[in-house]
Amino acid sequence: MQTNFTEAQLTDPHVAASEKILRRCVHCGFCTATCPTYVTLGNELDSPRGRIYLIKDMLENDRPADREVVTHIDRCLSCLACTTTCPSGVDYMHLIDHARAHIENTYQRPLMDRLIRGVLVAVLPHPQRFRLALSLARLARPLAPVLSRVTALKPLAAMLELAPQSLAPVAKAVTVPVEKPVRGRVAILAGCAQPVLDPGINAATERLLSRLGVEIVVPKGEGCCGALVHHMGREAAALDFARANVDAWTREIEAGGLDAILITASGCGTTIKDYGHMLRLDPAYAEKAARVSALAKDVTEYLALLDLPRLAPQNLTVAYHSACSMQHGQKITLQPKLLLKAAGFAVKDPAEGHLCCGSAGTYNILQPEISAELKARKVKNIEATRADLIATGNIGCITQIATVANMPILHTVELLDWAYGGPKPAKLSGVAKA
Amino acid sequence: MSDAIAFLEPRANVMARRSIIIEDLADMLPPECLVHEARELVPFETDAFVAYRRLPLAVVLPKTTAQVSAVLKYCNRYGIPVVPRGAGTSLCGGAIPQEDAVVIGLSRLSRILEIDTFNRTAKVQAGVTNLAISDAVSPEGFFYAPDPSSQLACTIGGNIGMNSGGAHCLKYGVTTNNLLGVTMVLVDGTIVELGGKHLDAGGYDLLGLICGSEGQLGIVTEATVRLIAKPEGARPVLFGFETSEEAGACVTDVIGSGIIPVAIEFMDKPAIEICEAFAKAGYPLDVGALLIVEVEGSEAEMDAMLALIVEIARRHGVKTVRECQSATEAALIWKGRKSAFGATGRIADYICMDGTVPLSQLSHVLKRTGEIVEGFGLRVANVFHAGDGNMHPLILFNANDPDEAARAEAAGNEILKLCVDAGGCLTGEHGVGIEKRDLMRHQFSKADLDQQMAVRSAFDAQWLMNPSKVFPLDGRPETRAFSA
Amino acid sequence: MSAITINTTSEVNTVPMSAILVPVCEEEAAGMIRAAAAAGRRLQISGGNTRSGFGNRVEADAVLRSAAISGIVAYDPAEMVMTARAGTPVAEIEEILLENNQMLAFEPIDHRTVMGTEGEPTIGGVFATNASGPRRLLSGAARDSLLGIRFVNGQGEVIRAGGRVMKNVTGLDLVKLLAGSFGTLGFLTEVTFRVAPRPQTEQTLIVSGLLDEDAARAMALAMGLSVEVSGAAHLPDNVKGRFLNGRLPEGAATVLRLEGLSASVPVRAEKLTAALGRFGPISRIEADASAHLWHQIRDVLPYAGDSQKPLWRVSVAPGAGAALVLAFRQHAGVDAFYDWQGGLVWMRMEAEPDADLLRALIPRFGGGHATLMRASDALRASTPAFEPQPAPLAALSERVRQTLDPAGIFNPGKMGA
Repeated sequence: MQTNFTEAQLTDPHVAASEKILRRCVHCGFCTATCPTYVTLGNELDSPRGRIYLIKDMLENDRPADREVVTHIDRCLSCLACTTTCPSGVDYMHLIDHARAHIENTYQRPLMDRLIRGVLVAVLPHPQRFRLALSLARLARPLAPVLSRVTALKPLAAMLELAPQSLAPVAKAVTVPVEKPVRGRVAILAGCAQPVLDPGINAATERLLSRLGVEIVVPKGEGCCGALVHHMGREAAALDFARANVDAWTREIEAGGLDAILITASGCGTTIKDYGHMLRLDPAYAEKAARVSALAKDVTEYLALLDLPRLAPQNLTVAYHSACSMQHGQKITLQPKLLLKAAGFAVKDPAEGHLCCGSAGTYNILQPEISAELKARKVKNIEATRADLIATGNIGCITQIATVANMPILHTVELLDWAYGGPKPAKLSGVAKA
Repeated sequence: MSDAIAFLEPRANVMARRSIIIEDLADMLPPECLVHEARELVPFETDAFVAYRRLPLAVVLPKTTAQVSAVLKYCNRYGIPVVPRGAGTSLCGGAIPQEDAVVIGLSRLSRILEIDTFNRTAKVQAGVTNLAISDAVSPEGFFYAPDPSSQLACTIGGNIGMNSGGAHCLKYGVTTNNLLGVTMVLVDGTIVELGGKHLDAGGYDLLGLICGSEGQLGIVTEATVRLIAKPEGARPVLFGFETSEEAGACVTDVIGSGIIPVAIEFMDKPAIEICEAFAKAGYPLDVGALLIVEVEGSEAEMDAMLALIVEIARRHGVKTVRECQSATEAALIWKGRKSAFGATGRIADYICMDGTVPLSQLSHVLKRTGEIVEGFGLRVANVFHAGDGNMHPLILFNANDPDEAARAEAAGNEILKLCVDAGGCLTGEHGVGIEKRDLMRHQFSKADLDQQMAVRSAFDAQWLMNPSKVFPLDGRPETRAFSA
Repeated sequence: MSAITINTTSEVNTVPMSAILVPVCEEEAAGMIRAAAAAGRRLQISGGNTRSGFGNRVEADAVLRSAAISGIVAYDPAEMVMTARAGTPVAEIEEILLENNQMLAFEPIDHRTVMGTEGEPTIGGVFATNASGPRRLLSGAARDSLLGIRFVNGQGEVIRAGGRVMKNVTGLDLVKLLAGSFGTLGFLTEVTFRVAPRPQTEQTLIVSGLLDEDAARAMALAMGLSVEVSGAAHLPDNVKGRFLNGRLPEGAATVLRLEGLSASVPVRAEKLTAALGRFGPISRIEADASAHLWHQIRDVLPYAGDSQKPLWRVSVAPGAGAALVLAFRQHAGVDAFYDWQGGLVWMRMEAEPDADLLRALIPRFGGGHATLMRASDALRASTPAFEPQPAPLAALSERVRQTLDPAGIFNPGKMGA
C-alpha cells in the first residue's frame, strides 16, 4: 500500500518500522473475516484493516490520538488472528503496539478509564498485591450488578465477576526429585497472575518435567513478563519488566546454562519471544534480549521435543481450545494436541477455533461487553463438541471460560502430568474416569 | 494515489447539505449504524483497489432490509448518490465511494437465515461471507460452489454484485448459475423479491440481470443460493512444466478431450515462488509453470480421470506430477493458490488484471502479456483459472513511485485490450468498477453501451447507484460533470 | 438482398400471409425492424415457429421470422463453445455436436410434441424461451449455457452482449435478460453458447411403487448424495405406462439418472442403490433405453397431442411439488408428473378449473410460478399464460422492456401487460 511519510518522520525508528509494515498491506480485506471484533460488531473500523488505516492516517499526519481512533484501537484484542490470516505478512502486532504507545503518549483518557487502568497496572503484575485484591474482590462481588449499570464502572463490575470464588494456597516448592539421567536444564517463568489464580499449573509442569529428567530453576529477580502493561501502551513500564527478566535469565544462562526458558501461559510466551524486538533499540540489552527470546518456549513446544511415550487410549474427550497467543502469537497449533493424543485423550477442535474467547489480558475488564459476546460464542462452540473437559495453554482463557462453561477447563500440562503419573487434578474430581 | 481515472464531480447541492443529511440519517438509524466523523470515514475511502481513494459523505451500516430501504428512499428523494459495500474486497474499485455519496455497508446483515437440505438451498443475509455458507452447510454434506479467492472475507452480496467466480466454477459455474433468489431494495426504497427456492423465476430474468450489475440496479439484502452435495473425494494434482506454453497447450488438450476437471489453475514461476513463500504447500520450485488440476468423485473415478489427464500432460512434456496425499496437503495447495494476490504484497504492490480469453489464445496472450509488462519496465506474475481462460496477470510495482504506478496502470490497460482483441473480455469475475470503466468502449460499440445504460436507467433514473462505475463518464444519459 | 415472403399455414391467423417477413441476414432484419418501428407496425417474432403457442396471444401486424438467418458461425470443440445464427435448426447443431462427442448440457425441450406444432425448432427459439430439460437441476437452464448474443432492438439497432468466453462480467448481463424473454425485448440474430462433452455412459435407476410424497423424499436423498444425479423425475402410476411403451416396472416410477465415465457410473449406481433400498424395489435401465426415457420426460410425452385439456408447467421448490398437487386435488382433478427432483410439475387438468386457484395455492407452498402451456382458446383468452408479477416488479419489467423496445412492436402482449 502506498504510504506518505516525510524523510524527517522516517528518522524515528518506530515510525520507520511501522512504515515498513504498512507498505506490506495490500488492503485485500482477508483479515476482516477472522477478526473477532469485526465478526461481532460488523464495522470495518473495528477490523484490522480499518485499524491499520486509522493508524496509518494518524502516523502519517503526526496527529495525537483522538477519541475515535482510541475507541477502535482499544477494541482490538491483540489476538493476532489477522496475522495468521494475512497472506501479505503484515506485522500487525508491532503496528498496534506502536499505536498503543502513541495513544499513551498523546492522548488523555477520561478520568475513570485512567483510574481503572492505573489500578490494573499497579496490581496485576504483582502477585502479592493481586492476591490481596482478589480477597477484597470476593467481599465486593455483590456490588457487581450495581456497577455494571453505569457505563464507566462496567470494567469494575467485570473485574469483580472474574475474581474466582476461592483462591488456592500459595504454591509449594517442587517435591518430586529429578529423574536421572538429567536430560536438560530449564527455567520456568513463575509469572505474576497465574501463580495466584492457579498455582497448580506450574506445580504440574515441575512434577512432569522432574519425572522426565529435566532440571528446573526459578531464577531470582524474575517477575511479570510485561505483557499486561505492554498491551496498555505503557512501553517504558513494559521494557522495565523485560529488562528485569532478561537480567535474571542472563545470570542463569551465564551461571549454569539453560536449554530453554519455559512459559506455561502462552500470553506471556508471545511477549517474551518478542523481547528481542522490544529491546532492539537498547544497545545494552538488544543482544541479551534476543538470546532470551530465542530460548523462550511454550511448555508444550519443549515437551514435544522429549518424545513422550504413547499411552493407551483413555475414555476421555478433550476439547482443545487454542489460545490466541498460542496459535496466532506463537503459531503453535499441533504440539499441544499431539501431546494430548499421545497421552491417550481423544481431542476435538471446536468450531471457529480461530476466534478469541474474549479474555485477552485485561480486555475482559476493559471491554466487558464485547468480551462477554465472544465468551458466549466460544463456550457454545466448545460445548457443541460434547467433550468431557477443555484443555488450553493460557491462564487468561482458563479464567474467562471457566466463568460460564459447564465442564472443567485445565491447562494442557495438568492433563499430561496426570496421564504420565502425576496426581489427578482436583478440577476433575467427579468427572473423569481414566 | 493515481489520477488517470476520473470521478464524477460531487453534486454541489448534496455537498452543501452534508450536515443536514447526516442529521437525517442519524434520525433513521441507531447510533452504531452511522459513521460520519472525518477520521472514521478514512478506512472506507477505498477497497482492495487501493490506487484510487475518495472519502464518502457518510457510511451507514444497516441491520435490516427496512433500514436499507429507508436510507435508499431518502437518498433517492434528495438525489444523494449511494455506494453499496460488502466486505470491500473488490479488485476493480467497485466499492470506492466519492465525496457526495453515502456508503451502505452490509457487514451487519450477517445472519444465515435458513438451511434447507431437502431443497438444497440456503437463505442468507447479504453480508454473510461466501465461505461462511459452505462452513454452515458442510456438516450436512453440502457446499456452496462459487469460490472466489477472497471467499474467506467477501460477502454473498458482493458476489452477486460482481457475479463472482473462482477456481471451481469450471465445473459448477459462477454466482449467476448458483443464485436462486434475492430480496432486493430498489433505489426508491421498494423491496422486491426475485426468484426463491424454485428454479427460473417467471417473467424477465431480472435475477440474471442484477447478478454482476455492480450495485447499480439496487441493493440485495438477502439471497437464496443453491447448495451442492459435497463430492466423495477431491484431489488436487500438481503438474510442473518447463514453459508456460507447454502448460497452456496441455490445458487446451485436457478440455478438448472431454474431461472437465473441477478446476485447472495456472501459476508461472514468479507466482509459484510467491505462493510457496506464504503457504509452504510444496509447489515445485524448479519448474517454469505449474498447473493445479483438481478432480473429484470416488477413488475409482478420480483415478480414471487422472490417468487420462496424466497421459495428456506427458504428451506436453510434463516435468513433475505430484498427487496430493492428504486433506491437509490439499488444503495447503488451495490456501497457497487462493492467497496468491495477498501474498504478492510480500514482495511488491500489484494490480491484478482479470481479462478472459478463448482457450486457444491462452499461450499467445500469456506471451504477449510478458512482453507488454517488460516493455513498461515492470515485472509480472501470472496466476489464474486456466480451464476457463480467465487470466490474472499481477503487475508488480512500487506504489510509492508515481511513475511506476502510472506505468503499471498503462501496462494493465494494454493487457486488457489484448484480451479483448484476442476474442475475450475485459473482466471475467472481478467486475468493471472504476478500473476498467474507460476501456469499455474497446469492447462495446456505442449502441451496445447505450443499450446497457438505458436498461440501467430503468432501475435508477437519476443514476444515483454506485456513481462513477462501469460506464464511461462521457456519453452517459446523466449529464454530470467529471474531473480527473 | 430482399425479404423472402413464404407461404405457411401455421402462422397466427390475424396476420396476412403477405406480412410474413423472413430476413436472410441481421442487417436486413434490422432494416425491417426500423421500418416497422417507424410505421408502428407490430411484429410477431418467431424462429421455427414450433413454440409460437407459448405465452399470451399476440396481436401483430406482421410476422418476423429468424429461420433464414441460419448457419453455424464458429465451433471449436476444444473450446466447448459454438456460435450459430439464431435460425439454425437445433437438429443441425445437435448433429454436429454428436459428431464431436459433445452436446447441449441443458437438454432443450422440443415443444412440438406437447404443443402439437410442426416445423424445425431453431437455436434462437431455444434461448428465447429458455427451453431446458431434465439436466436443468445439475447443469443449469439454457440461459446458463448462453455466453453471448447479437440481437436487433426495437429501434432497429444491432446490439452485441456477452461474448464467447465462459466467464464474463463486463457490463450488464443483457444475455440473461434476453434469454427467456420470448422475443419481447429483441430479435435474436446470433447466439454463442457453451457445449459439454457427452458422458461416456449413462444409466437410470428406477425405484418402483412410491407415493408422490415418498418419491420426493427419495429424490431429495439422492440429490444430497455425492453421486451426481443428473436427472430426478417421478412418474406416477397413471402416466408411467406411457413411457418406454409401458416397459417400466410395475407401480409408479421414481427415476434417477447417472452419467459420466464408464469407470464411475456403476460405482455411483451401487452407492445410490444402497441408499435408496429402503424406499422400494430398485431396477436399472442402461444406456439407450435410459437416454430414450429422458427424452420422453423432457418432451412431456404423456401429455402430447392436441388435447384441449389445460396443461400447466409449474415451478416450485422440489419439496413442494407433491404437496402442491395433493392440495390441488382437493379442488379439481389433475394428472401430474414431476421432473427436477419434484420442482417442475407438469399438470394436466381434467377440466378447466379457475387458473387463480392454482396460482393462489403456489405461495402457500413456498412460492414459484405457473405457466399455462396449452388450453382451449377460451381459457387462454381469459388467463395470463405467465405468472402475474407483483405490481412493483411488473412496473420494473415494463420499464426495462421499454428501454429495448420503446415503440412496443415486438410480440406485444406475449408476456402480459
